[in-house]
Formats: sequence, C-alpha cells, structure tokens
Amino acid sequence: MSRYIVWAVAAVVIVVAFFVLEPFFVSPASRPGGPEGLVGQAAPVFALRDDRGGAVSLDRYRGRIVLMNLWASWCPPCRAEMPDLQRLAITYAGTRLAIVGVNEGESPQRAREFADSLGIRFPVWIDGSQRYGRTYGALGLPTTVVLDGRGVVVRGFDGALTFAQMQSAVAPLVGSH
Amino acid sequence: MSAAAAAALAIVAAAVAEILVPGQALYHAGWFNVLLLALVAVCFISARGAYRRAQPASTRAAVLAIAAAAAIAGVAATTSGLFAPDNQTLIGAPGQRLRVESLGVLVFPLASAESAEQSVTLERPLHAAVTIGARRREAGNFILRTVSRSVVFVEARDLRGNRLTVTQPSGTAFLSPVLLMEHRQTIAGLDVPYDSFNVPAMRRVVKAILFTPAQAAMMLHGTQPGESAVLFAVDDEKERPLPHAIALSAGGRAAGAGGLSLRGSVETYPAVEVVAAPNLLATIAAALLAIGGIVASIQRPATIARTFLRTILPWETSIPLGRST
Repeated sequence: MSRYIVWAVAAVVIVVAFFVLEPFFVSPASRPGGPEGLVGQAAPVFALRDDRGGAVSLDRYRGRIVLMNLWASWCPPCRAEMPDLQRLAITYAGTRLAIVGVNEGESPQRAREFADSLGIRFPVWIDGSQRYGRTYGALGLPTTVVLDGRGVVVRGFDGALTFAQMQSAVAPLVGSH
Repeated sequence: MSAAAAAALAIVAAAVAEILVPGQALYHAGWFNVLLLALVAVCFISARGAYRRAQPASTRAAVLAIAAAAAIAGVAATTSGLFAPDNQTLIGAPGQRLRVESLGVLVFPLASAESAEQSVTLERPLHAAVTIGARRREAGNFILRTVSRSVVFVEARDLRGNRLTVTQPSGTAFLSPVLLMEHRQTIAGLDVPYDSFNVPAMRRVVKAILFTPAQAAMMLHGTQPGESAVLFAVDDEKERPLPHAIALSAGGRAAGAGGLSLRGSVETYPAVEVVAAPNLLATIAAALLAIGGIVASIQRPATIARTFLRTILPWETSIPLGRST
C-alpha cells in the first residue's frame, strides 16, 4: 500500500515539475516574420474610405477570395507591379476573386491620381493611419496578402510579384481559369 | 520529521515571497538557489528517516506530502531563479506580435492617435489568451503588468497638405507612424527620448525629440504650460541637414520644416513589465501539501476530520477534538 503512495506522490511531483519546466524548453511555435507570419489568422477588419470617399470594409468581401495589395505612390516596385494587378483583375473578372489596392498613408487625391495614371480599375482604399501595414507586419512595400472566403490569411508576400506569381497564389482558391 | 517540515515550510515560504514581492535580484542569485536546493536535500534526508519510523500509513502519507511539497516548491522557485530571465520591460509597436522565450506571444494593441488601448494580449501554447493590464497577472513562471510609456504619433504632409507615408526602416514596425521613443540623448543637461522616421515620398529623414511639459517650458519657446513638445529635425535622404529644417510641434499642432508639415501627438502606449516568479499553481499545490502533511503528522486522521468540521461548523461544539500525538 505504502509503496503505491510513494509512487503516486513521485508521479505528482514529476508532473508538476514538467508543468513548471516545460515553458523553458518548449518555445511558442516560431512564425516567419512579415506578412507570411499571418497565415492562418483572421485578417483584421478596419473601416476605411476608398479614393472617392466611400466607406469600405473587408466584411463586404466575405465569401470571396481577396487579394489585398498594400502600396504607395512613391514606391517604384509598387508602380512596376500595378499593371500586373490590373491584368489579374481583368483575367479573373466575374469570378470569386476580388482585388483591392490599399494605399498606405497617403491622401486620397494622390492615390487616385496615381491609380488613374496607370489605368487601375480595381478598388483603391485609403489607409491613412497605415493600420493594415502595421498589422500585416509589412517589411516594405508592396506587400500582398491573399484571404480566403472566411477572411483568413492564406498567403502573404513581401515585395513585388510577377503576374505568374499572382496567378499561382490565387488559382488554387478560385479554381482554374 | 520536524526538520523535514521546517525545511519544507522554508522553501514554500521562499516561493510565496518570490510571488508576493517579485522582481528582487536576490531570487536570481546563485547562492540563494543553492540554499533552496540544500533545503530540499535536508527535507528529503530527514523525511526518509521519518518515513521509515512512521507507523500508521496516514503518517507515512503525511511525510510524503511534506517531501513532495519541498520538491515542488523547490523546483518552482529554482526554475524561475535560475532559468528565467531577469526583469525586463518589453516594448512593442502597435499591432506587433512579439515572441517572448519561455512565455508566449505578446500582441500589442493597434493604437490610433485618437485612442490607445492600454492592454496587451498574451497568447500561450495550450492556454487561452489573457489580457495583460496595469494590475499584475501571473502567467506560468512570470508575473506581467503593463506600464504606460510616452509615444509619439506622427503625421507628415507636403506643403500642399497631402498626407504622406511615414516609414521606420530601423524601427520594430516598418509601416508605423507611431514612434516608440526607445533611444535617449542628453540635450543641455536634459535626458530626453528620441526616435526617427522617414518620409520616402519627399526623401526626408526626420529625427523627433520628445520633451515633457516641464522640459518644454524650461527650454523651448512657443509652448503652452502643460504641453508636451516634439522637436523635429529634417535631413535629406543621405542624412545631410537641410536649411530651415528644425521645427517644434507643441500640443499636437503642425509645424513646417524641410518642406514638410509635421505634427507630433504625444500619447501613452503600454509596454509590458515581465518579472520571473515561481509558478503560482505549483506554489499553491506545494503550500497545501506542506500544510496538509504537517497537520496530518501531528494529528490522527479522525482528529483532522473533527477539526475540519469544527472549523466549518463553529457552532457545533458537540464534536469532540481528539488528542494530538
């Protein structure tokens, strides 16, 4: 009987010791830095305005695949990438894919002039407080994030993408086109 | 037996003290932790002899409980004393997820110039997320609380009033207009915090120096009493000073410098103070085992039950107390 008690007490001590020591040897799951680190998390939803002053929000895109591109007019890689985003918007027009360009920190007028100069027709949102840039852990611009129909981040990219990279990111979600 | 009990109580008391008065350098001292381990050893040696001599099974269980209490409290106290890092204040950018070794991930709130939440969320593996506020909160082997720091929300515009992107290439968050003011420098004998940011559209690098209301009143012209002030110094992209490129933004008002209109709003934003402490649950378990073991070793089980009943039913005087052994 007493032997069982000894073993039971020893087991309790070992379990508690493991419980106390475990955090020092098992670190929280390491996530990659930047936008890729958000994969699997729900994208934050902020009430923003578009470049025409209309109220916009990610909530309106539930059920659709969203490719969010963070950009600014002073950023040369953003300028280089924009025509391919517009081409992607045309290619996937009429599908579940929505493309949204989110201007980081600039005035609506500047963003609109920039978009018009490049013939951009997809929605352009104005993130004056750079909230998406902060929460997506943008390491630079452009930054691109792909969300599924539930608003969960499925892909995150730092830097400009080619048209082929954009297609390969959205095609599995939208289906072949 | 009494030596074992005394050693166990001393170890439990040390663990409790580390929780009640956390953050003392003593807890990380080598000799202190060696002393705790020595007490555990004394408890075990004494308990071994007492266990052999103990006759009723209940007394043996009491001895084991005391030894277990010493082991658990010893592990909890020496783990935090030897493995856990020293006290630290963790500063994160708004929206940042800061990974902390042996603890988890601190999620800093997304603040705007209008409102800054003062709580931080702690996410830990196998635990529900908890909110860390100004009141201390135990989490595993740590005690956490938030402390408020002054940060500066900056807004940059060109001279036509168009808003411009603010970046912090050397900061913790690249696309953040919130300056965490982590650096310090001495100006005219005053120790002041500063930070820097870029305005890439205008190819400008801006240094921002924060003055408290008292410092601003003493050093700077153009400030109202009680107003914090931010001094901006604007350089070109190669960090060469520009003419007319120093301006003062006081009370959140805009100021022109180096072809920019700059506004600095001073707000408070939480940082997290992290102090190592023995695991709270383990310490409670150890304390209960020690007390239970000591009580059981000096009283027969039936007497314990009667004592317990009389404790919770003080009006019931008909329950006789047994004699102590």
